[in-house]
Amino acid sequence: MSAMNMSRRQFLKTTGILGGGLVIGFSITGCSSNELPIRLAPQGFVPNAFLQITPDNGIRFYCPRDEMGQGVTTGLGTLIGEELDVHPKNMEILFAGVHSDYKNPDFGVQGTGGSSSLKAHYLQLRQVGANTRGLLVAAAAQDLGVAASAITTHDGHIVVAGKRYPYGQFVQTAATLEAPTEAPLKSNAEFRYIGQAFARVDAAAKSTGTAEFGIDIDIPNMHHAVVRRSPVAGAKLKSVDKTAALSMPGVTDVIEISSGVAVVAEKYWQAKTAAAKLAPVWAEVALSQVNSSDIRADYHRAMQQDEGVVDTDEGDIEAGLATADHIVEAEYWAPFLAHAPLEPMNAVVRIENGEADVWSGTQGIVAAQGLVSRFSGIPLEKVRAHNTYLGGAFGRRGTLTHVIETTEVAVASNKPIHLLWSREDDIQNGVYRPASLMKIKAGVKNDGSITAWQAKRVGGNITPKTLQNMMPALFPGLNDGTIDFMVGLSRDVFAGWMVDHASVEGLYEDYDTDNKTVNHVTVEHDIPLTFWRSVGHSYTSFAKEGITDELAEKAGMDPVAFRLRNTQGNPRLNNVIRVAQQHMLAMQPAEGRFLGFAAHHSFATDVAEIAEVSVVGKTIRVHKVTCIVDCGIAVNPDIVRAQMEGSVMFGLTAALYGDLELAQGAFQQSNFHDYPILKMREAPQVEVIIIDSGTAPTGVGEPGLPPIAPAVASAVYQATGQRLRSLPLKIA
Amino acid sequence: MIEFTLNGQTVRTDDDPSTPLLWVVRDTFKLKGSKFGCGAGLCGACTMHIDDAAMRTCLMPISAVAGRQVTTIEGLGTLDNMHPLQTAWVEASVPQCGYCQSGQIMAAAALLKSNPSPTEADVDAAMSGNICRCGCYGRIKGTILNVAQQSLAHNAAQEQKA
Repeated sequence: MSAMNMSRRQFLKTTGILGGGLVIGFSITGCSSNELPIRLAPQGFVPNAFLQITPDNGIRFYCPRDEMGQGVTTGLGTLIGEELDVHPKNMEILFAGVHSDYKNPDFGVQGTGGSSSLKAHYLQLRQVGANTRGLLVAAAAQDLGVAASAITTHDGHIVVAGKRYPYGQFVQTAATLEAPTEAPLKSNAEFRYIGQAFARVDAAAKSTGTAEFGIDIDIPNMHHAVVRRSPVAGAKLKSVDKTAALSMPGVTDVIEISSGVAVVAEKYWQAKTAAAKLAPVWAEVALSQVNSSDIRADYHRAMQQDEGVVDTDEGDIEAGLATADHIVEAEYWAPFLAHAPLEPMNAVVRIENGEADVWSGTQGIVAAQGLVSRFSGIPLEKVRAHNTYLGGAFGRRGTLTHVIETTEVAVASNKPIHLLWSREDDIQNGVYRPASLMKIKAGVKNDGSITAWQAKRVGGNITPKTLQNMMPALFPGLNDGTIDFMVGLSRDVFAGWMVDHASVEGLYEDYDTDNKTVNHVTVEHDIPLTFWRSVGHSYTSFAKEGITDELAEKAGMDPVAFRLRNTQGNPRLNNVIRVAQQHMLAMQPAEGRFLGFAAHHSFATDVAEIAEVSVVGKTIRVHKVTCIVDCGIAVNPDIVRAQMEGSVMFGLTAALYGDLELAQGAFQQSNFHDYPILKMREAPQVEVIIIDSGTAPTGVGEPGLPPIAPAVASAVYQATGQRLRSLPLKIA
Repeated sequence: MIEFTLNGQTVRTDDDPSTPLLWVVRDTFKLKGSKFGCGAGLCGACTMHIDDAAMRTCLMPISAVAGRQVTTIEGLGTLDNMHPLQTAWVEASVPQCGYCQSGQIMAAAALLKSNPSPTEADVDAAMSGNICRCGCYGRIKGTILNVAQQSLAHNAAQEQKA
C-alpha cells in the first residue's frame, strides 16, 4: 500500500498508534485541521508527523522547531536519528508546517524560544525515532523471514547477518503493521550520534547562498511593499498625500494600513524610493512627550517612593540586615535594546481563490497562520503557513506585526506581496528589551555568609505586550475587544497584584541566604517590549553579580571563593564555579590585563565566565573569554560551543555599546553606525569548557549571555577601581 | 539599458541606473544569495566582487558597474563544486543563522586573492566591515587563516613537484 492511496482511516490509525504514548499526545479527532502539512512523495510512508520514508530510502525529518542559528535542525535531527538509527546528515530536514503534533512540549503551542528545544523534545523525538525503528524492524522481520531479534540497524539500514537492507525497502510492509508505542530507548552508553561534534547539517546551504530565508521568497506576480510608520510607537496616521509616490515608476498602490502607509511597486527599490517621497502626518500620543531622561526620572522616583508588588519574601530581611557585619547597597541600570537580527523583518503573503499562503521566518509559524487568517478573513484551515530559515531572531521573531502588514497590503492591493522592513524600521519601530533600574541591598558577615538580600526592580513588563501580540495570532476567533480586555487585565495584574516573572528572574535566586525579599514596581511608557536573548537574565545578572563582587570585597574574600561559599544550596552552579576557579588560577594575564569573573543560572543551565580585559584610556578591550557550562548532555558539543561563543559576542555588544535613546517618544538610533554591533577586530577569543554530564539536556541558546557583562565589569574594576553600574559600560 | 557581466554571463537590465546592484541582482536576476542587512554599507551582507574587489552593493548604483565583472556567492562556488573557503566553512560549522555568511565568504575570498598569506591583523582589517550578529567571528577568522595556510602548503608542494 502506498501512502498516496492510503486510506484516511489507515493513516490516522498509523499515526494514532505511533503517537499513542503519553509523550507524543496525538489528537485523532478526524477533523480537517488534523491533516498533516506534509507533501507526500511517490510511495512515501508517513508513520507519524515527524517522518516520511520513501522506497529509495529517502528519510525526511519534519523539524518542529525554527532554525534561527541555534542549530535546531541538527540538534533535533540528532535526537530522532539516534533512536531511528539514521545519521542526521543522511536525512532531508524540512521545516514543519502548522499542526498540533508540532507543538513545543514545554509551551503547548508551536513556538521556538526560551532555550527550550532540546530539553522539550529530548524524550519525545527519541521515542518517535525508537517507535519508528521498531516498526521498520518488525516489517523487515516479516519480509526477510527472520526473527526481529536477529536484526540490528545501522544508519538507515536493517542489518541481518552482516547484510544491509535500506529502510526504504520495508516501508510498504511497515504501513500495514502496528508500530510499537513504547519501544525501548537507548542508554547513554549506547548513543552513536548524541554527544558527537559533527558538522551542522545546514552549514553547506548557509555557505553557498542557497539556504532560503523569508526575504528570498519569490513567487509569480509578487509585488514589493515598503511601509512608512510613525517614529512614535502606537501613533496613528493622521493624513498623507499619496500623489508623489503614486507617480513614481513601478508603483501600483499606496495604501493606508493599521501601522501607517504602504507603497506597493513591482520591485523593492521602486517601492523604497517612492515611500521616501511620502510625508505622512502622525497623531500625537502620550509617548510623544517622553524623553529618555523622563524615563530615568520616573524609574528613580518609583524606586524611592513605591514599594511595588512583592515577588518573594523569605525569612526576616530586617533581622538579616541587622546581623550583617557589612551592608552594601547599589543601583544598576540597563537600557532599552533592539535585537537587530541581520535579516530585517519580512513576509510574503498570497491570497488567491479564498485561500492564502504565508512565508516568513518566525519563532512561531502558527502565529503567522493565525494573523493571516484574522486579517484576511480566510478560515484558518485555508491558510498554509511556510516557515523558512531565520536570519537571526533572538526573541524578535516572536512578534509578527510585519505579517499583519503584509496581509493588509495583500488584501487591499489584491496582489501577492513581499513586504520588507529597513534596518531603520527594525531599530526604530520594533519591540524592545525593557530598560531596568535595579537596586540590591545585601548584608554579609566577615565569614563570607550572606545574611540578607533585598532586591527591587523598576521597569516595564514584557508579558502584557507579548499577549497583545500573540493572542490575535493564536486565537484568531477572539474579537479585538476581548483581547484588549485580557491585555489590559494582564497589565493591571502585573502592575498591582503579582510580578511578571520575566521582569525579575535572575535577580536573587543563585546565592544562599535565609532572608530575601524581591519587590517590583511597574512603570510603563507605552514602549513595545518583548523577549530579548536571555530575557530578564540579560539585565538582572549584571546587578546580581555586581553586588556579589561588592559583598566579597567587604568580607575580604576572593570573589570566586565567595561565590563557592554561597552556592552550597545550588550544587551544579557550585561545581561550574569550582571548575572555573581551577582554570582561572592557572591563568597568567599579561601586564595590563585583568581577569573578571561572573556566574549565572538561567534556562536550567549553569554558566561561569572569565573575561580577560584591558582598559586603555576610555576603551575597554576584551581579549579572551573562558566559558564553563553545564547544560546536561551536550547533544552536539560543537553547537554548544558555538552558542556560548555567540552568546558572549551578543552580550558584549550589549555590554560595550548597546543603547537606545528616546526623544519625544522616538528612538534616535537608526542603523549600525549609531547602534553598533561588535566587529571581528573587537571580538575576543572564546574558549568553552563543557562539563561532562549524563543528565537530560538543558538550555544552550541563551545562558551564555548573562555572565559576560558582569564579568567584564568585574575586570574593569580591577583595572581602574571604578565600579560600573550602568550599561553599556563607560569608563568615567 | 546597462550591461555588465554577472558570474561570467553578460546581462542587460533596464532597471533605473540609480538602482543599487544588490536589488538588481536579487529582484531582476533572481540570485538571492547576496543579502540585505542595512542598506547603508555598514554590515557587509551584500558583499560581491566587482572585478576582483569586495564591494558593498546595497548602495552602489548599477550605473557604476556597467561593463564590469560582478561575482556573487553563486558564482564563487556551488553545493557540488565549492570554493575551498566554502568547504572549510562547512567543516568548521562556521554559520549559525547563516544570513551574513555569503558576504563574509565573498569578503574572505577577495582577501585571500589579494593577500594569500594574511596575518591575523590583516584578517581583522579586511573582515571588520562584515557584521555577524550571531557572533561567529572566531570561527570565521580561524577558517580564513587555515585555508590560507593550507593553500600555501598546497602551492609549495606543487612547486616542489614541478
